[in-house]
Amino acid sequence: MAEEAGTAAAAGESGRMTMVVALDESEHSYYALQWTLRHFFSADGQQQQYRLAVVNAKPTAASAVGLAGPGITRGAADVLPFVEADLKKSSMRVIDKARELCAQVSDAVFEVVEGDARNVLCEAVERHHAEMLVVGSHGYGAIKRAVLGSVSDYCSHHAHCTVMIVKKPKPKH
Amino acid sequence: MEEKGATAAAAASGEPAGGEAAAMKVVVAVDASEESLHALAWALDNVIVRRGGGVSLVVVHAQPGAYHFVYPVAAHGIAIAYAPAAAIESMRKAQEENSRKVVSRALDICKQREASANATGAVVEGDAKEAICQAVEDMNADLLVLGSRGLGKIKRAFLGSVSDYLVHHASCPVLVVKPSKAHDK
Repeated sequence: MAEEAGTAAAAGESGRMTMVVALDESEHSYYALQWTLRHFFSADGQQQQYRLAVVNAKPTAASAVGLAGPGITRGAADVLPFVEADLKKSSMRVIDKARELCAQVSDAVFEVVEGDARNVLCEAVERHHAEMLVVGSHGYGAIKRAVLGSVSDYCSHHAHCTVMIVKKPKPKH
Repeated sequence: MEEKGATAAAAASGEPAGGEAAAMKVVVAVDASEESLHALAWALDNVIVRRGGGVSLVVVHAQPGAYHFVYPVAAHGIAIAYAPAAAIESMRKAQEENSRKVVSRALDICKQREASANATGAVVEGDAKEAICQAVEDMNADLLVLGSRGLGKIKRAFLGSVSDYLVHHASCPVLVVKPSKAHDK
């Protein structure tokens, strides 16, 4: 039963497999993208096997500034357009760098989606009918994860497809 | 963690050719569950076959140490933790047999998909999480593939999750394969 389920889940012999790679500005996610490119998209013949979708989740300006409380002061609201512009710029930078790195990939799309990274990634997986999601990981310890939240943790539990978590290797002493 | 030597249950030697640039060493952790064999099948279909070679596959099974099964024996009201040597020996043999079956079943799956040329099996001993983590480091794996039972948050906290532990502690990227849904998309 396991074998048949496996073949049913694969995109089929002639179809390509879609891979969503999550990207933000951190070193860890660029490393994840480069690792994926190196191992899945490197040789010439193999490129045709996978379709790549690079997704950058752009936080909404309001969430970035933390304007959740009652009584938003006028000063805080004025900041919003600047925050929004800055976030847009940083997303553009991320996508441009991704385009450079993925220059040799024949079938690649690049998207910026606004919203919380966790939901954006799971929803992107559904939208692209992806078989695999690749995320980097900051390598936080248990406490940091609990406090800061971990996108890779959330995705590995909630995405409806296989999830690959790429960590930057720690330098050995 | 003690490690048993690589037991090749079937198939050719998996000594990786270290020189190839595109060579990738993939370690798949299996136990007797359907999810891990599904993970192996998924990995074979989507990673290995599609890459068309240059991948060496190692199927790893973690065997719990025999000392887990030593029970205290109450004799005349005195509780003694004692297991006769013969009992330990037979338990150990039963476990080895079990491990061999699991690994050979996994290698059969590899053979079915004609990926057996570069596949080996290995059995490591000890607590699953740590033993697999150690094995991945020793083998210099490029990728670790795991199945996942799809437990909810609470169950994970109580039952413990090997996949959770390995995602945080493994020295290489980890691929977590979810159980296939009953209804197909």
